[in-house]
Amino acid sequence: MPRLPKWLKEVGWRAAAGALLLGGIIHILATMAVPIVSSGHAFARLRDSLPLNQMVLLPAPAPGKQPLPFLPPDALYAMCRYDISVDLLLVNAPMAQAGWTLSLHTPQGDNFYVMPAQESRRGTVSLTLVPSAERLGEFAATPRRISAQETQVASPSWQGLVVVRAPLKGLAWRAETEAALRRASCTPVKRS
Amino acid sequence: MFVLLAVGGGLGSAWYMIEAGSRLSTRSSGPWTTWSAAGRPDADPYTRAHTVRNGLLPLASTLEITYQAKADSRGGRLHSGCEYTIVMDNLGGTWWSLAAFDGQGGLIANAAERYAFNSDNVMREPDGRAIIALARDARPGNWLPISGSRVNLVLTVQDPAWAAAVYEGGAKSLPAIQRLVCR
Repeated sequence: MPRLPKWLKEVGWRAAAGALLLGGIIHILATMAVPIVSSGHAFARLRDSLPLNQMVLLPAPAPGKQPLPFLPPDALYAMCRYDISVDLLLVNAPMAQAGWTLSLHTPQGDNFYVMPAQESRRGTVSLTLVPSAERLGEFAATPRRISAQETQVASPSWQGLVVVRAPLKGLAWRAETEAALRRASCTPVKRS
Repeated sequence: MFVLLAVGGGLGSAWYMIEAGSRLSTRSSGPWTTWSAAGRPDADPYTRAHTVRNGLLPLASTLEITYQAKADSRGGRLHSGCEYTIVMDNLGGTWWSLAAFDGQGGLIANAAERYAFNSDNVMREPDGRAIIALARDARPGNWLPISGSRVNLVLTVQDPAWAAAVYEGGAKSLPAIQRLVCR
């Protein structure tokens, strides 16, 4: 059996247990603190290049010009940085082909809503982004519906990102894909 | 010594769990690893920290799942000095994408301006398989150029049933990354 070093033998069990406990607390605090103190998250990286409540068609990913690391490069992206603390937001997005997605993210990167293109659901998807009940307060009135067919999605945060991803079939389809993606929009809507 | 051990151990173990992951937060299949709760609002703290720290914006793993490989199927670090082949034949009719990045998640510059293949644009064999060659120099067929010291591969599979199975702990068979030759 290997012999323990002398300094380790001198450490009492109380000190060892204390070190383990303190290490565990530091481990938990460090893990929980990363999402709060990190400045390199996706929302922070994109904030300066995305005007508020406007859909922006991003340039095709290229070396040194990627909006985010590890973002699939065989797709075009339209993004909208939103803030619904004043107005609601009407989002329209074309779902032209398989692989197209409309996704909504909080500043911390939580993807709280995603809709993929499906055989039975091609064409333009329309939804209104509203604050969640927790944000509005328990007794606040529910935001009005624009129409009976309107889909409302509750955002858990005042700010966030709308992302429309359009996979590229190839260079020959780029202009067509870009034209379809340009139809995506974000429009502020007054609360009633 | 006591405080140093506690602080070092606490921070070191947190860094490892956030960067490399463990069975608590990741699932592996051969050389491929995925953070199975990535993008979900109910993700565990390690997955949330991993996503934020690396500037990622994943779709929720209720819809699609993203795997990353840093090594080939024999465990060797992916490197542009070697040539690899990947046979995509067990992903069914799902939409998938395979992209090559450098160690920091940046695209690898190449004259062909080719950074990825997906199920729509890959050339297939008569039997439906797609064979993708990763090499520094041009290869016939689906050639994905690589260069630099470290290469990371990212495989995205859009299939809710697949994603749910992986989230629940089920194993999925993924394409092998076969090393052919190294220079």
